[in-house]
Amino acid sequence: MVLFIIFCPIIAAILIMAGAPARKTALGASLLAFAATLFLFVSFHQGRNDFQHVTSFTISPQWRLSFTTGIDGLSLVMVLLGTIVTLAAVWFTGAIEKYENAFYACLLFISGGAIGAFASIDLFFFYAFHELALIPTFLLIGIWGTGNRVAAAWKITIYLAIGSFILLLGLILLYQSFPADARSFDIRALTAAAALGQISADAQHHVYLLLLIGFGILISLFPFHTWAPEAYASAPAPAAMLHAGVLKKFGLYGLLRLAIPLLPEGVHHWGTLLVVLLLGNIIYVGLVTIAQKRLDWTLGYSSVMHMGYIFLGVASATILSTTGAVVLAFAHGLSIALLFGLAGELRQRTGTLVFDELGGLAKVMPFASLAFGFGVFAAIGLPGLANFAGEIMIFFGAFKNGWEMDRFHIFQIATVLALWGVVISTVYMLRAYRKTFMGAMSDRWKGLIDLRPVLRVPVALLIGALLCYGFFPQSLVRIVTPAFRTYLAANKR
Amino acid sequence: MITLGDYLIVSGILFVIGFAGVLLRRNLIIILMALELMLNAANLSLVAFSRFRVGPAGLPDYNVQVFVFFIITVAAAEVAVGLAIIVALYRTRQTTDVNDISSLKF
Amino acid sequence: MNSILPWIILLTPLSSAVVITFFTLRWKAVSSFISIAAVLVSFTCSCLIFTQSGITAAEFNWIDIAGAFKVPLGFTLDQLSKTMLVLVSGVGATIHIYSLGYMRNDEGKSRYFAALSLFMFAMLGIVVANNFVMLFIFWELVGFTSYVLIGHWFYRDAAAAAANKAFITTRIGDFGFMIGILMIWMATGSIVFSEVAPRMPGLAGHPAFVTIAALLVFCGAVGKSAQFPLHVWLPDAMEGPTPISAFIHAATMVAAVVYMLVRVAFVIQASQTALLVVAWIGTITAAMAALIATQQNDIKRILAYSTLSQLGYMVMAVGLASNDAAMFHLFTHAFFKALLFLGAGSIIVMLHHEQNIWKMGGLARKLPITFITFTIGALALIGCPPFSGFFSKDAILALAYERNTPIFIVGLLTALLTAFYVVRLLVIVFFGDTRSDVARQSKESPLVMTGPLIVLAILAALGGFGFFARNFLTLPTETGGVLFVPALAFGAVIVGSGLAIAIYRNRTGDPIDVEILRHKFYFDEFYAWLINWTQELLARVSAFFDRWIIDTAAVDGSSRGTWGIGALLRLIQIGNLQAYAFLFGLGVVAIIYFAVFR
Repeated sequence: MVLFIIFCPIIAAILIMAGAPARKTALGASLLAFAATLFLFVSFHQGRNDFQHVTSFTISPQWRLSFTTGIDGLSLVMVLLGTIVTLAAVWFTGAIEKYENAFYACLLFISGGAIGAFASIDLFFFYAFHELALIPTFLLIGIWGTGNRVAAAWKITIYLAIGSFILLLGLILLYQSFPADARSFDIRALTAAAALGQISADAQHHVYLLLLIGFGILISLFPFHTWAPEAYASAPAPAAMLHAGVLKKFGLYGLLRLAIPLLPEGVHHWGTLLVVLLLGNIIYVGLVTIAQKRLDWTLGYSSVMHMGYIFLGVASATILSTTGAVVLAFAHGLSIALLFGLAGELRQRTGTLVFDELGGLAKVMPFASLAFGFGVFAAIGLPGLANFAGEIMIFFGAFKNGWEMDRFHIFQIATVLALWGVVISTVYMLRAYRKTFMGAMSDRWKGLIDLRPVLRVPVALLIGALLCYGFFPQSLVRIVTPAFRTYLAANKR
Repeated sequence: MITLGDYLIVSGILFVIGFAGVLLRRNLIIILMALELMLNAANLSLVAFSRFRVGPAGLPDYNVQVFVFFIITVAAAEVAVGLAIIVALYRTRQTTDVNDISSLKF
Repeated sequence: MNSILPWIILLTPLSSAVVITFFTLRWKAVSSFISIAAVLVSFTCSCLIFTQSGITAAEFNWIDIAGAFKVPLGFTLDQLSKTMLVLVSGVGATIHIYSLGYMRNDEGKSRYFAALSLFMFAMLGIVVANNFVMLFIFWELVGFTSYVLIGHWFYRDAAAAAANKAFITTRIGDFGFMIGILMIWMATGSIVFSEVAPRMPGLAGHPAFVTIAALLVFCGAVGKSAQFPLHVWLPDAMEGPTPISAFIHAATMVAAVVYMLVRVAFVIQASQTALLVVAWIGTITAAMAALIATQQNDIKRILAYSTLSQLGYMVMAVGLASNDAAMFHLFTHAFFKALLFLGAGSIIVMLHHEQNIWKMGGLARKLPITFITFTIGALALIGCPPFSGFFSKDAILALAYERNTPIFIVGLLTALLTAFYVVRLLVIVFFGDTRSDVARQSKESPLVMTGPLIVLAILAALGGFGFFARNFLTLPTETGGVLFVPALAFGAVIVGSGLAIAIYRNRTGDPIDVEILRHKFYFDEFYAWLINWTQELLARVSAFFDRWIIDTAAVDGSSRGTWGIGALLRLIQIGNLQAYAFLFGLGVVAIIYFAVFR
């Protein structure tokens, strides 16, 4: 079942390259993958903290390398996010003038790569699936993008390739830091071995730093974030939806799957560094976002900023905060996909996304403004939408770290600053919304039509998921938390 | 007495003259001649070693002299091929100046 | 036993909002019907609950991580919350019906009613919340819905700006609120009110901590109830439709803040310093708002500042550690302020959306019912016996006299100012000659608007009397020196009204001109300057740094560096055979050196 979800997009992409009708095949594959994920979701046994639906094909018994896939709570949520956003991204694709087949194939390869990475239990294929998604991103931005697309495509690809390289170094070191008989590519075996304390503290420090920087570049951690805004601004909307929504979360997944369980000493040692960097993400990048004058750049920088909260959840490494990080990652993926999709549609209709030229569009595009409003308020953490549930768990979890009465530890200061970041994000998001949709409308936009009716389905899907998990976050929490219980204390010191 | 060292010095001087010729002369055929000079310098030093390293029975070390014959043979073959290349080059480029055959640059 | 009624009260307006937003946006009449039906259902159920005692409702686990964190959605159903439920849903129902008339020609009517229903949901949630996080959730939702409602006419720049300002200012308050909640959770291990309250005395050994936590929790109240210094959004919120101004700013939202303060009083009362700060902030707000109101010329703005001022009184009462007095004033204030706003709305609509009081005048003859009801509300506001405002304001002043004399003096002066600007309003709007054509042509409002006015007038008149109010609240206890304070207060009322009548009879323009008051103490300008020189400057600097230092210098720089090194290395490939041979020879020499001599 899990294999089906992984390979459905990949096989569909190959079929499309071979000549199948592009849009129909892509839509069909995404719908199938989504339906299969829902089925998985329903048939998932909560409360167990092991991997379920595991299939394994041994490749090299000597190196303990095998193609193993399976899901536990954490991966299930990520796979769900992947399939929802894939479906929405494919649906959002409008008319493509040139190389339509290649476009859909690239989208599906990215999707397959991301889902494969989330569902892999083997270290080698975990990395390999992510690499699968790198080149299609390059093609999507470089060929079908807008604005400064070629430079942006080069920048994102090389930057992320450097990040992947550092990650590879880290993974190799990780593999080597186990004693020879415990070495394996299987993540389950590694976790069990690490729990027995088989990695020395020194090795943990080095490996964690490499993994942190490697994954951090992939998640746009400050100061390695400058690839993101330009790339998202130049990318075609479906590519931005997939990358910001799903592919960025690969780094988070990696940290939660590998770094935290296997390298607790490293987490503790580099905690302060990570906190400082993530505050850079929240406060500094938040301020940068306020100064932006275009909608696409605002959204790009905003996606970088929100990663800071997810990092706060990871840095605190308590059950509460990591669960919050996962929920926020899920919610953020959905909301940013919604925002990028709508921004792309807007750009297609008006030809510009500069704030000074837009304004008052809610009069002619009521549905789009309602949908965009949902996205905006999800991003700023309004209760009732899933982002708030994630954020609140992160804040409560992070605040508790290192707690002493009458003294303020760095995590408390970080939480306070992160909360101020919420105010900052409110400022720029509402400003963006106001400058685009409210106020007086210039005569240029009198004849604009609203969103195509066919787009109401993906919009409804994304908003529906946000509302559903905003009202009932416990359904996500129930699935995610058991995965962390084995190696995270309920409330760390 | 002429010692081994004297032969080696002469051989070294010949080698350096040959190497300088390779580096400094412009005509390809002269370069080839200088190359031959380097090879023969090596031969001279090998023969000197053979003559002065006396084996257990009071006889010189004949392995080295066999090596000298190898070098002479290989040098002859190499000159044949090298001259063929120079002739072919001359036929296409009408020049034997080494500074004219620099197409393979950045 | 668990009753389902509380859940019905809470969920009916939510369902109405959902249904309208997703299904019936196109059919305005249907939307308004759904919304009004929902609020009436809530009101009926609230009345039903009010009559029962010992009622409980099932809890719903919103987030539950065993051993770490638990956020239930549960209900607090004591006398106070039951009264507030009836008050909120009742006034809300009045507003809904009034809106039918006021918004009858508005093309965004469905949107309006959806937001109104959501607002009801959020307000009722605040009233029944039993833990801090649930309170915070509904707190934020109230802020959101008031953003939507204030910005209802979004195509007007002023409305869009006002909505933004409201939401951001209250968010700043929420920032402090959340930190306070986090601190309390850390110290007591729980967020549920009933579990935190008994643990608060255990923190007595850490006074600084408790004070900071209390003040931060109060911060949320400061933002939402527009106390000084976060008061700047409330007057601008008049950009919204008048029923919204009535609802939000008179009866429910800002008053819900006082309710919240009463609910979490156990936190604030744990620290004397916090109580003092709260009391002074309330006093300063009351005085400042009253001063500004004396110079305003827009009828809604005058009422907005009077709301601010009365809110200051309520917060003052909380700071003087008397929840009962605060709730009593909240209770009476809900009636007379809603009445005043709806009356103002009636005037505005009948004068074709004219809001400048200097364009009105002599309306006592043209809009008689509005005139009478408005006057009743005004008299209640200034604290004239026997109307309800007299009793509640008097209770607060008596408290102040007893516990903190400087506050009492300022409070008394504010009462004088209140009388002054309210009577000024009355004189200019209703008496004298009609000053413009729209005023001359106006006539009384339809019944759907005057009906609620009459109902509210009766409540405003009678609401202060013990026999009525005692059913709903515990009244503040009577203190010694019974007649001294009421006499002083009444004296202030007479002096203020007299001054106003003397100065403003038969005028066509305002004779007094105090610029600093007219410009609201230049707070807006100051904040704009402050934001420009901190946030905007930092944003521009950061953006510059990001674009040019990090992106261009570091990232592009390293890519250019790589190109540069490549270009340098390229120079070795010059194509010259003899150069290659030379390098080759050098290499051989190096190898021999390293192999033989090292």
